[in-house]
Amino acid sequence: MSDREHLRREMDRVLRAPGERPDGSISLTRRTFLHKSLLQGAAGAAAYGLFPTLSMIDLAFAQGGQGFRFAWVSDTHLYPKNLNTRFVEKATRAFKDVQAMSPPPDFLIFGGDLGQLGDPVELQLGADLLQEIKVKKVFIPGEHDWYLDMGATWNRMFGKAPWTFDHKGVRIVGLDTVSHAEDFWTSRKMTAKERMGHMATLDGTLGGAWAAVGAEQLKWLNTALNDWPKDKPVLVFSHNPLYEYYPPWNFWVRDWREVNETLKPFANVTNIHGHVHQPLYNEIGKLRSIGMLATSWPWPYAPEGVPVLTRAMIRVDPGEPFDGVGWGLLTTSANARTDAEYKMWRKEVFATTQVDSGTGDNDNQILSPRIADRI
Amino acid sequence: MVSAKLHESLIAVALLALLLGVGAGPARAHKEAHTAEQLKAFEDVFMEQVKIGDLLFHGDPGTQKSLGVQLSKTGMACAMCHPYTSDTHPYQFPKFQEQMNAFATLRDMINWCIEKPNEGEKIDANSDAMKALEAYIYWSNRNSKLEPGVH
Repeated sequence: MSDREHLRREMDRVLRAPGERPDGSISLTRRTFLHKSLLQGAAGAAAYGLFPTLSMIDLAFAQGGQGFRFAWVSDTHLYPKNLNTRFVEKATRAFKDVQAMSPPPDFLIFGGDLGQLGDPVELQLGADLLQEIKVKKVFIPGEHDWYLDMGATWNRMFGKAPWTFDHKGVRIVGLDTVSHAEDFWTSRKMTAKERMGHMATLDGTLGGAWAAVGAEQLKWLNTALNDWPKDKPVLVFSHNPLYEYYPPWNFWVRDWREVNETLKPFANVTNIHGHVHQPLYNEIGKLRSIGMLATSWPWPYAPEGVPVLTRAMIRVDPGEPFDGVGWGLLTTSANARTDAEYKMWRKEVFATTQVDSGTGDNDNQILSPRIADRI
Repeated sequence: MVSAKLHESLIAVALLALLLGVGAGPARAHKEAHTAEQLKAFEDVFMEQVKIGDLLFHGDPGTQKSLGVQLSKTGMACAMCHPYTSDTHPYQFPKFQEQMNAFATLRDMINWCIEKPNEGEKIDANSDAMKALEAYIYWSNRNSKLEPGVH
């Protein structure tokens, strides 16, 4: 049995005890429907046969809450404009879509990886594009935003995580899951750019298991939730998923056991995360976890470990830059439901057959870690 | 820096291979039982190409420069969409490739990706860079089973 298989079995043992699952008052449905911009005629998208859509996940929150909507955008991976405009165009489109919502969302959560290489030019470009959004904005960092200057520019421009606030009966928490990489750069005498380059490579070797909440932040999380009733809803935003999906690409946090211990007493916990650039759904213990789209490009599903509760995204066309990407709209309603919508700019979001599934060839895709970066 | 080191070691491997008779040409091929040293040398030649392909696949500027190729003009790299070469499924080629509307080889597909999503310059199908990319992609998928023609 491989180490990963051991880990996965441990996660099942720890998190999926009999009867352990998110509160029954939270129900989940998904639906996909045409976005209104299609009805109004989206000429560019139609030319490619692609259409903006909304797909929705419904979660029910405890009675007594008020309805509200918020938007999620993440993983824009902006380069300086003089190098790459493709990602700028897609981020711009997402921000315009969010701003065009009527009624507007209560707030926007930006889920990290605003820039590609943490360059202040990239982060400033992102800040400029985000000016489009007039509602309240909250931010958590991604690893691409962090490792050029260890978060100095990010924190100055977008504020430090973690943070928490209460909104209409929901306690909302934003975590930093990216700043806890072990130091691989000092002993190798790396420049800041070299360090960033390794951290910006999803399948890089040197970064190792960098994704974590960390002991100090866990202590903070315990305090932040200490006075919150155990039956009231908690919404946790993080760049990385808070469970073990595929550690080699940091599709996890390495301290998921401790995170689970902290969240376990709460019946209604929903984690919304980025980093994976793909629709994901999982339930682990009382924690419900939803992976969101990137605006930049879709990652393939990992060759193993895709949660069985996930309905896979459809295979996309790599020749069409607006395919397989988008943003997310989340709605909590007064009748105890929350909808999480994948706003992908194509007609079909989810595969209906194996041949069209993003996980379609995982039964015959046995991959090996790279070797040329083990310096 | 890394690619320069690789090239130095590639030259060393080539010299070793010559000494061991690896490069002695078809006249000697399989005329004598192989030694462990020869087999190791064969493997070393292959793995050096895998490493060069790995660097190209991950957009290493030095390796691209030394091989005279520009795989992207927009900062993209193959590995950004294909970590561990996932979803390249080399074991399915040759096959009908929808994007090209043609029967295609893996090399055709590599060039399509360089030109379209990567916005780079197409490379010679028989170039050292192409062979190295091919070596890395096949090596990364070496435990998958052949499924030529499967979509």
